[in-house]
Order: sequence, then structure tokens, then C-alpha cells
Amino acid sequence: MIKYIKNCFIVSLLYCLLASSIVMAQTPSKMASSTPTVVDNDIQQLKDKIANKVSEIRKLNNKAVSGFVLNIDGNGMKIDNNGETNQVKFDDTLTKAFRVLGTTKKEIKTSDIVKKDYVIVSGVVTDNIVTANVVLIDENFLVDSGKITEIDKENYNIKVLASDKNTYSLDIETSTKQFMVNIKTLLNEVIGFTKLKEGDTVHFVVKKTGEEKNNNYSAYKILVIPQEYFIK
Amino acid sequence: MKKETIIAVFLGLLFGAVVAIFISLKSKDIELSTNKVIAPPKENVLSVNLTGIEMQPLAISEPADRAIFEKNIIRFKAIIKMPCSFQSPIKDLVVKNTQGKFDLEFPLALGENSIKIAVYPKEKQFRPQEKFIKVYYIDSEL
Repeated sequence: MIKYIKNCFIVSLLYCLLASSIVMAQTPSKMASSTPTVVDNDIQQLKDKIANKVSEIRKLNNKAVSGFVLNIDGNGMKIDNNGETNQVKFDDTLTKAFRVLGTTKKEIKTSDIVKKDYVIVSGVVTDNIVTANVVLIDENFLVDSGKITEIDKENYNIKVLASDKNTYSLDIETSTKQFMVNIKTLLNEVIGFTKLKEGDTVHFVVKKTGEEKNNNYSAYKILVIPQEYFIK
Repeated sequence: MKKETIIAVFLGLLFGAVVAIFISLKSKDIELSTNKVIAPPKENVLSVNLTGIEMQPLAISEPADRAIFEKNIIRFKAIIKMPCSFQSPIKDLVVKNTQGKFDLEFPLALGENSIKIAVYPKEKQFRPQEKFIKVYYIDSEL
């Protein structure tokens, strides 16, 4: 009987030892699985920090230039804006091109860009070359102001003398948006051609194609500040 | 010569001198009142004199010229107390701007935005000030 009890005790002791060894063996495995998680988080944080820093540096070096395309090939193009030229490089993996259609845009290929297109390029500048991230084909608008010096009522045309001494000849079309500032409320009111007077100040927006002659443009929009505003 | 004669001559000379001074003073006043003064009245001269007034220059603190934005709305910030006009191809805005500084929302179109800002001083002697900036709205999704 004593021998039987002794055997039972030895078996139970062995069982306890075995069970404890299993537990001991499991503990390190838990440790091993938790440590990599912490490391992974650290790596992810570091990655995020680097990505943010790179993004910040890119933003700092990011520049936007615009102009009419002088020449273009598969690798890049040269653009000109009133004598200021810029060399633009395309990156096959990075550069995206779009055509702006009013408030929407349509993705195109860089090979769709042709000479005389007006493009806006955003990208990083290195050694005076812009590596294009985005190329937008859009219309070129000229915004200026001056005094009306002449009104041609037959041809619906006005001559405007700008502050830089340039004289613009503006055709007022049926599509031209015409506004006048109410000198009491300073609100813009829609007007017709007959309301225009010589001596009035006019702010205007025209579309530039780069092929205009004698500073003659079709007016896209005009805003008149009547001369009465200045006589107080 | 008798003593009385000397006194009479002296008194005569004295009276003559007083009368002469009186007439000369009176004639100056009459001359000033009857002649036209070729100069603006004093009160007008004071109001027209603008040598002490300086034109407040148009200085826009935001946005910077050729800045790139990822949103289609920007804010114009400047300190100036005069009516201003803002014009771009998509927006015309005239503000009274009586508080001295302004912080104004302005919409942008996708791509390039040419904006002309003009300030119209109340004093007619000063010419309007103009500023031209180009800013770009490049959608962050592009």
C-alpha cells in the first residue's frame, strides 16, 4: 500500500513538473510575440515621420509655372510666359496630365499636349528644370484695368488705357458679362453696353490665345467703376 | 518871435502829424478792403493742404504671389482702410473695408488664378493702387 502511495506521489510530481514546464515553455512564446509588435509600431511611426518629412520637403521645393508650349517631345517640353521660359521634364511614373474643362478635369497623356497649348505645371525644381508632378492644360486669362478712352458704339468696342500705359482694344460680345459697381451700395449690377462712358474705370478679364494682334481681345468679363465714384 | 506864436506853430505841426498818420493808416485799410486778394481763403487753404497726409500702401500679407493651394478657397489678409476691388476670372468683389484690416474668403478655380486687387483712396489727389498676383489651386488628389 505504501509502495502504491509512493508511486502515485511520484507520478503526480512528474505530472506537476511536466505541466509547469509547458507553462514555462509558453511564457517565452508570449514574450516573443509581444516584442515584435512594439518594434513594428516603432517602425511604422518612423516610416510615417519620414513620409511626412519627405512630403514637407517636396512641398517646399514644389513650384508652379505656366506658359504656352514652345516645343515638346516624349521627355519634356519648353514653355514661355511673356518671355519667361521654363524647361519641364516628364517622369513616366510620376507625371499626370489633365485637361481642365470648366470646373471638371479629364486625364490625358503627356503625348496629347501639343505646341501652343497653355499649360500649368506643378513640380519640384532642380537645376532650373521642373520635374512635373501635374500638368494642366487650361485657358490663359489676362486680368487688368484702366480708363475707357474711346467707345465705338457701332462695333461694340472700347479702348482702355491701362496704368502701365498699354492700350487695350476690347470687343464687347453678347456673351461678355458686364457689371457696374453701384457707388452707394458697392454691389455689382448687370449693365448693357450703353451704360459705358468715356472716363469710367473698367476692370476686365480676357482670354489670351497668344495670337492676338494690336492688343485686341474679346472681353470675357468687365466690371465698371463709374467716374461719379471719384467725384465726391 | 513871440512865445504864443512858437506854441501855435508847434501845436500846428503836432496836429498836422497826427492827421497825416491817421489818414495814411485809414487809406491802407480802405485799399485792403477794396482790392481782391488773389489767393484762396485761409480755411480752404487748410483743408486742401495734404502735405501731412500719406497714402497708405497696399500690403497684402496673404496669400503670397505664385503660392500653391490644395483647397479651392483662400483668404486675403491685409491692413488697409479703403474700398478695394478683387477680380479674377471666376469672381468680382468690391468691399467697403472700413475697419482698417480685412480677412476675406476668395474662391479659386482649378489651375492658375490671376487676381487683380485695386484700392480706391477717398482723397482724389491719390491714384488708385493696384496689385496683381497669380496663385495656383492644384487639387491634392491629382
